[in-house]
Amino acid sequence: MAEILAKVLTFGVAGVNGFPVHVEVFATGGLPMMEIIGLPDTSVRESKNRVTAAIANSGRGGSTARITVNLAPADIKKEGPSFDLPIALGVMIATDMLHPAPGVDSDQIAFFGELSLDGSIQPVNGALPMVISAKENGIRTVILPDRNAREVSCIQGMHILPVSNLSEVICWLEKQTGITEQEQTAFDTLLNDAVTGTDMCQIRGQKGARRAIEVAAAGGHNMLMIGVPGSGKTMLARCIPGILPPMSFEESLETTRIHSISGKLPPGSGLMVTRPFCAPHHNASVASLIGGGQDARPGEVSLAHNGVLFLDELPEFSRSALEALRQPLEDGMVSVARVKKQARYQSSFMLVAAMNPCPCGFYGSNRRACRCTPPEIRKYLDRISGPLLDRIDLQIEVDSVPLQEISSSEPSENSASVAARVSKARSIQLERYRGTGKHCNAQLDNADVKRYCTPDEEAVRLLNTALDSLHLSMRAYQRILKVSRTIADLEGSDRILSAHIAEAVQYRELDQKYWR
Amino acid sequence: MTTKPCEAVYDAWLASAGMPPDLVRRLLDVYKTPEAAFRAFQQGEEPFRIAVSPRYASALRVSGAGRWMESTQALIEKHRIFVIRYGDPEYPVSLKYIDQAPAILFFQGNLSCLSGRMLGMVGSRAASYTGQKAARKLAHDLSSLGVSIVSGLACGIDAASHQGCIEGGSPTAAVTACGLDTVYPRDNIRLRNEILEKNGVILTEYAPGEKPAGWHFPFRNRIIAGLGQALVLVEARIRSGSMTSVQHALDQGKDVFVWPGDPESEHFEGNHQLLREGGIYFTSADDILADLHWLDNQTEVRQNSDCCTEIKADTPEQAAVIRSLSPGSLGFEQLLEKTQLDPPALMSTLTILQISGIVESLPGKQYRLKH
Repeated sequence: MAEILAKVLTFGVAGVNGFPVHVEVFATGGLPMMEIIGLPDTSVRESKNRVTAAIANSGRGGSTARITVNLAPADIKKEGPSFDLPIALGVMIATDMLHPAPGVDSDQIAFFGELSLDGSIQPVNGALPMVISAKENGIRTVILPDRNAREVSCIQGMHILPVSNLSEVICWLEKQTGITEQEQTAFDTLLNDAVTGTDMCQIRGQKGARRAIEVAAAGGHNMLMIGVPGSGKTMLARCIPGILPPMSFEESLETTRIHSISGKLPPGSGLMVTRPFCAPHHNASVASLIGGGQDARPGEVSLAHNGVLFLDELPEFSRSALEALRQPLEDGMVSVARVKKQARYQSSFMLVAAMNPCPCGFYGSNRRACRCTPPEIRKYLDRISGPLLDRIDLQIEVDSVPLQEISSSEPSENSASVAARVSKARSIQLERYRGTGKHCNAQLDNADVKRYCTPDEEAVRLLNTALDSLHLSMRAYQRILKVSRTIADLEGSDRILSAHIAEAVQYRELDQKYWR
Repeated sequence: MTTKPCEAVYDAWLASAGMPPDLVRRLLDVYKTPEAAFRAFQQGEEPFRIAVSPRYASALRVSGAGRWMESTQALIEKHRIFVIRYGDPEYPVSLKYIDQAPAILFFQGNLSCLSGRMLGMVGSRAASYTGQKAARKLAHDLSSLGVSIVSGLACGIDAASHQGCIEGGSPTAAVTACGLDTVYPRDNIRLRNEILEKNGVILTEYAPGEKPAGWHFPFRNRIIAGLGQALVLVEARIRSGSMTSVQHALDQGKDVFVWPGDPESEHFEGNHQLLREGGIYFTSADDILADLHWLDNQTEVRQNSDCCTEIKADTPEQAAVIRSLSPGSLGFEQLLEKTQLDPPALMSTLTILQISGIVESLPGKQYRLKH
């Protein structure tokens, strides 16, 4: 048998980025066998069994050659079953089972997909980063599993050919049949599908807390809610993704990429247009929050990128997990380093935390007596470190709603109208910070606060008196200015007036009441 | 009171076995001094053999060992602990006729403050914010009218009562449930020092070295009830230690004044039960003084200075908030409803009122007028 070399183009994923991989197949005479080289992991190495079976089931017979498959570049680790399809095609070309029709330039087409033993093609993780990388590498045609097609349909200027089994691909390469190209979807039309989660009209009463989440959403501020059990903290938090402004295309791409590589996208779904809401349980490990594992996978903070990370029962999280949040909160990025792999993931999220005021939950409630001793309460509160609290701009108390209020039929305002106000405030901020790389008030550092958050004279006087008489710290001072900027934006006011400052002071009250 | 430290150690020995006070008193009647009792016990004299059960006798033998005596001696000297016995002329008269009157009392500070007008104040350790505020204010008012407060040096209402009394200028008395070398709870160490600095007294019937034990507390409460000419209950749930103090006071034939707390709050369920059963209702220090016929000229003068603090409001919003808060504390949501303001406006108004010291905010998103 002649010695033949076949080459097929595919893509792999490292971190959140794709990279081109050339599948080279070399077939020669000798005992029939197949070997895969080029740093494959177990799932890639197992691919030879899937490939052999799939080829046999595609109606073209089996191969009897000695086959070597090289995944170039050979120095980057290859993971996942997405190489099955290109390997199968390479093997078939190299063993003369498949002859691409003239005019089909397999160097200009990228293939990926997992094969079943019967030859059908299964969806893979990371389709979006791979297609983006293909586009960056000048590739215009991609053949991929049909259930990944919607995920990438928003990428402009690409021919996306969804396939469901191996024979379809073979026939297409031989120009016997065509494949219906995936229609491109405009991003704006996708936005209509956004699911808003809990709607704010379901919340009865809680006007103070509703206002607070509106302010938090308008400025992208992190928020802490303290309240007795059953006061509705979780429900309030669930409303937040629905009142944040709609995702931009870039944001959506960033978030979808991260979800795509961690396999969190439901099969058949398109780009993520709903802001993620991640609520890890309080026994979450540092690695699951920040990212980790052998292959440095993204953690909850990255999955919540451009969305909301909700930590219920904040003091119950382990100290190390909470402290690890400081880097992503500060930089909007997290670097995960493991022996074999390093990765940097985006993680710019809005932190929403909820906690009880004491271990039993009823401290300060006037309906039920608290059973905790003062040292117990102090110990509980002290689990939240100062530096973490420092990064939370809004801190509010949530009181439980009396029963008659819950049963009253008077409807509350719905999310849509709150979202409209929030969007308006956000666009003011976008305009103001154009060219600075920032996009909301929460991102201001101390120098920016001095520059952008200058209250008028009367407001300064008020703030100074407040600092004095309410014993607020200097760090509270900065936070109040930032939040008052957002309140002014919500009102469409250019200047920060004393009413804005006065309201912002209310969001720092916990400082004096709990962490004295 | 005149007891020298070297003698006090024998009092400690006698108190250490946990014998009923009446038995200790009988032994002292026989032997006159604890030291004599000690010698008699060492020699196995008859009264000891007959009156003291083997359980107490063995406890006495353990404490009577040289090492215990030495270390207790050291504690007495280190903490400057004094002793007063039932028969001594300085023994507080108010305790003399109560049931199970303590035979031996250990104390630090100024014992003579027990002879003036004194009220017991008791309440929950895990007290509500309102309860603590009320206790502190009440103790302060009573104290500034020359009435001392006796309480139990625990957290919550006890601490607030002592604190208020100190602030009002009268000495305060604390009755503890452990030896005077132990500070329990530890958080109160500053308060304890302050009590002594401000001419107060800390006393107990437990020997130095004795640790706090659960059963000490209800037993100790009879002394608190006994030292006061009446008892004030600030905040109690139905099953609580404070209710045992009330029981002691009633047994001793004393008046029990009950603070009418929030009727909807669990914190005050004991108060309301007592009020239904005939506890004396009061709302201010003056009410108590009037009921006890302690009102004299100096009291009258003070009365009007308090009630005419008319609060000034600068804006209609502030006026609305103040009006809504005047009956008592309210939550944020209730305030919204009463004032008909929108949330941002109410928040700003509250900030201004807090800054000017008119309104204060309590845990649980509650607000009230600061008097």
